[in-house]
Amino acid sequence: MSTAGTEGGTALTVQQEPTPTRPGTTAAPAGHALELRGIGKRFGAVRALADVDLVVDRGEVHALVGENGAGKSTLMAIASGALAADEGQVVILCDELGHASPDRARELGLAIVRQHPALLPDLTVAENMAVGVGFRAGGVRGAVAWSRDQLAPWGMDIDPRARVRDLPIEQWFVIEIAKALALRPKVLVLDEPTEHLSLDEVRLLFRRLREVVADGTAVVYISHRIPEVKEIADRITVLRDGRTRGVHDAATVSEDQIVELVVGRALETVFPPKGSVVGSVGTREQLVVDGLSGDRFHDVSFTVRAGEVVGLAGVQGNGQAEVLRAVAGLEPSRGTVLVDGRAVRRGSTASARRAGVVHVPADRHEEGVFLSLSVAENTVAATLDQVSTAGVVRTRAVAARAEEQRAALGIKTPSVDAPVSSLSGGNQQKVVMARTVVAGPDVLLAEEPTQGVDAGARVDIYTILRSVADAGAAVVVLSSDGVELEGLCDRVLIVSRGSVVKELTGAEVTEEAIAHAALTATTVRERAEAAAPRRSGRSRLLASDHAPAAVLVGVMVVLGLVVGAQNSSYLSSFNIYNLLFMAAPLVLVGAAQHLVVLTGGIDLSVGPLMGLLVVVGSFWVVDGGNPLVGLLLMALTGLGIGLINGFLVAVLGVDAVVATLAVFMALQGLYLTLREVPDGIVAEGFSTQVMARFGPLPVAILGAALVAVGLEVALRRTRWGVALRATGSRREAAESIGVRTVRVQLGAYVLAGALTCAAAVLLMAQIGIGDGRPGVGYTLSSVTVVVLAGASVFGGRGSFLGVLAAGLLVQQLLSASPFLQLPQAWSYLLPGLVILAAAVLFGRLQHVRKA
Amino acid sequence: MDITSPSVRDLGRRLLTAGPSTIVVATALLFLVSPLVASGSLGSAPLLSMLPFAAVLAIAAAGQTLVVQQRGLDLSVPGMIALGAVLCTALPQQHGWPLASAVVAGALGPAAAGLVTGVLVTRFGVIPLIATLGLNAVLLGVVFAVADGTPAGAAPALNQFALDRTLGVPNTVLVAVLVVGVVGLVIGRSTSGRRLTAVGVSPRAAEVIGVRVGRYRLLAYASAGACYGVAGVLLAGYTKTPPLFLGDSYLLPTVAAVVLGGTALTGGVASVVASGVAALFLTQLGQLLRAVGWSDSRQLMAQAAVLLLVVLGRVLVPMAVTAWRRRLADRAVALAT
Repeated sequence: MSTAGTEGGTALTVQQEPTPTRPGTTAAPAGHALELRGIGKRFGAVRALADVDLVVDRGEVHALVGENGAGKSTLMAIASGALAADEGQVVILCDELGHASPDRARELGLAIVRQHPALLPDLTVAENMAVGVGFRAGGVRGAVAWSRDQLAPWGMDIDPRARVRDLPIEQWFVIEIAKALALRPKVLVLDEPTEHLSLDEVRLLFRRLREVVADGTAVVYISHRIPEVKEIADRITVLRDGRTRGVHDAATVSEDQIVELVVGRALETVFPPKGSVVGSVGTREQLVVDGLSGDRFHDVSFTVRAGEVVGLAGVQGNGQAEVLRAVAGLEPSRGTVLVDGRAVRRGSTASARRAGVVHVPADRHEEGVFLSLSVAENTVAATLDQVSTAGVVRTRAVAARAEEQRAALGIKTPSVDAPVSSLSGGNQQKVVMARTVVAGPDVLLAEEPTQGVDAGARVDIYTILRSVADAGAAVVVLSSDGVELEGLCDRVLIVSRGSVVKELTGAEVTEEAIAHAALTATTVRERAEAAAPRRSGRSRLLASDHAPAAVLVGVMVVLGLVVGAQNSSYLSSFNIYNLLFMAAPLVLVGAAQHLVVLTGGIDLSVGPLMGLLVVVGSFWVVDGGNPLVGLLLMALTGLGIGLINGFLVAVLGVDAVVATLAVFMALQGLYLTLREVPDGIVAEGFSTQVMARFGPLPVAILGAALVAVGLEVALRRTRWGVALRATGSRREAAESIGVRTVRVQLGAYVLAGALTCAAAVLLMAQIGIGDGRPGVGYTLSSVTVVVLAGASVFGGRGSFLGVLAAGLLVQQLLSASPFLQLPQAWSYLLPGLVILAAAVLFGRLQHVRKA
Repeated sequence: MDITSPSVRDLGRRLLTAGPSTIVVATALLFLVSPLVASGSLGSAPLLSMLPFAAVLAIAAAGQTLVVQQRGLDLSVPGMIALGAVLCTALPQQHGWPLASAVVAGALGPAAAGLVTGVLVTRFGVIPLIATLGLNAVLLGVVFAVADGTPAGAAPALNQFALDRTLGVPNTVLVAVLVVGVVGLVIGRSTSGRRLTAVGVSPRAAEVIGVRVGRYRLLAYASAGACYGVAGVLLAGYTKTPPLFLGDSYLLPTVAAVVLGGTALTGGVASVVASGVAALFLTQLGQLLRAVGWSDSRQLMAQAAVLLLVVLGRVLVPMAVTAWRRRLADRAVALAT
């Protein structure tokens, strides 16, 4: 009863609280472009945002500042409908964004430039821009000219027909920005847009922003480059550890004040004293890098002494990360790296590790921690030999070591046996630091060590880094945060265009000096030089989706001539008719598989499905039966199985291989139950109709070719085709720009069922009896066809013309062995060898394309 | 009993979602229920006819577990088992090899084939699915060529060994316990096993801490091949005259055993022993269905249904738990206001 009283009390205050703010909101409803009220968001145990308010007026540039991990990007993901908030409301121009929907936010007038551009790497620039604006500028056809217009002001000479994967990173941002501006948004959100841009491009961006603001657009500008924020913003909202820490007029606060607001305390209390000030830097040159060259950097030389912390800075994408990763052995490189005077073999992390180099990577989830392993297992992962006897791990020693580190570094975890994935970003990073400390490094390479880390843990990590240096290690810190470099480093090296262009020491190490040096160095960068050289005609051809088809046709002709020379009956019209007729189901089932693979899935059940359909048909398509009923039932069964596969994979998210493998087995069981032994002779008249000729050619192959060409046109020219490739290219990006990926993939499985049914009709006419077994092999064949067609098995790219050519070639190979008098084993060996050869070859080709 | 206490709730969740304990409980339940469904199904004769097949499946499932741990899925199980069987039968009969060398070849041949998969995956970047799909066809071709198209019979000594019992326990079961136990111990307790797990959880993170990722993956694929080989040799010995492609019916059960055992298909932490127990579960389930008169084709459907139910459970149970928790939280909020 007593608790009821207090609950009533809190309810009362909750009701009362909004009253003072109400009049403000209602008095000038036209003024607010974007209102976020009381936003709260949790990720598992981590509270990312708590009770955050943000109000942005029309015609204003409103900066959102905060450290990495303060919650800026999460907040904007919520504002743009990409993420659902746990609490609070989002109001865009007086309309509430009821549920998380990127489409709805876009309709209300919000456009966003994400920190990681939501581009689909396998699609062209024009296709990306057209999908990104929801095809507002017309269909796929006009997208090229329209995109060229949108990109023209940036003067970067971006080809709208180029594949986004092939473009340098700064162009990704320009495309993302142009895409957002093309929506003529009322609210424009920019999340770290200038990270990869040169000074000129930043100026161009600011000019465009001032234009749209003058038209009444509201701009939310997220950046950790304080001078830029001062220059462009009218007001500044500070976010720290997921909470709003005040709104300020940009004109009234100095850059230093902004920094202190962001960090949340005086800088001196954040950073440990520098070695160069205290005098703990040794004289020994612990790390010597001499003439190191790699893909993105050349002739880099520097030394780091024991006890010294050296920073690497520069505009992102200038090769500084690659330099660090090359020293760690993660990237191939030439040149010399000496640790404690001894040379380290290049390009091997194992050699680097043995030499005493320890690397703290930037991408914590992918490279830093083993997410599903426990805190204890993560702590000792790099030093298993210390806790094992004769190769057997001592569990108790592992736990003891982990407990020791948990206490020393203040890792907040319920237990050292808890999986690292349940910890907050800051504590995960502390586990990585614990692993590093246990390894006792001679050289520590830390890449963005405090990215996504809360302010408290950040201070701890600085202390750990400094203490590792004090213990005699050479420490190199790469960071995009100038404040961090200023506070932590004894020296800072500025990297531009893959070379060290400037060195700042002692009192020169300030945020302004670092930012200035990095930006001015980048201005002189010749974009043309940095950009990939124009493709030559040959490599351009190789990069095309249709290249494999051309190669296959070549192979087919050569093979035909060789076998024809061995055995003249091979080129007889009878044999050619047979070959083409048998190729038709292969092309159809290959097209079915290709549809699914384009969306990033796979369908192993196509083979047994063909078998089942033949058996189903054989009950009706017989003399005296009703063939129409049979065909209808086949079609319904095909569609139904496609729907089941699609539902399992696309809707429920079951692993595609396992789901369709289970369906594979179930269908086998089903057709064996229906017909244990072959039975049901297919009606003669039906077979004759299916095997009809058009001139010398079977009608079936003409139909299959038509289907392939039709699908190819649809894939390139329709919104459906673009959505299909978008889903397979990068699913989450496609979803965030409003592609309905679940529906698209479900549709692909259903359509695959229909195509498989068409293939089954041909197979039924060919074998002439109700037998499911001959169908099973088509699973392997369909995957072979797709791989031979040069499709990416990860989805997103491929060509149905390639499928047509591959289907013909596979059938040609299968039927060639009797003419060459090969032993029967070859009927198994050949398809297997072909698929492996194709996978290796086209894998290579795709590497060439990427490079 | 307070069903909301954390320990009970935790146990419930572990049983429902994943973890090796689930399959042990399920298997125990199955054996308890068996006599009720088909009386006499736990008699020594049905048990002795079931156990050798469970043993073969357990060994093959250990191999599949190793591949799944490396984020792959091995579709070459049929070819691998067939290769092991054909090497230990056809080599002595048609090529005059001594039995001992042929048995060793039966284990090492598939191991070499596994190495080929490993090279394709690690050196040439072929995804495991395609590599094993293609290799399976190649292996079947090799089997056909080695046997010259006709199945060979197992040598009497091998057949006798597979049929014999030591201290009342079938030799096949002893071999399975040995193989599964050794592989399980190595994976769970040794430094190499920990590194294998680390590579499975995240190859990139393993590379960063200096693990030679490529070598460990090769090791995993080769060991998996050896497991399939041993399974093939035992199966050949037990069936006396193995059909050429006797491995065909083992593909789905190995995958089902891995999934039932609680190893995630996304790789990483794997329990070989749990996969082995799941193999026992699946074989006994098949035996039970046969006892009540199910045909082989209906058994295929039953196997598929079990696999689908388990993966669906993995997907749906966490969803339902989240929804249920949210409803509870909402109700708490509603009560509070």
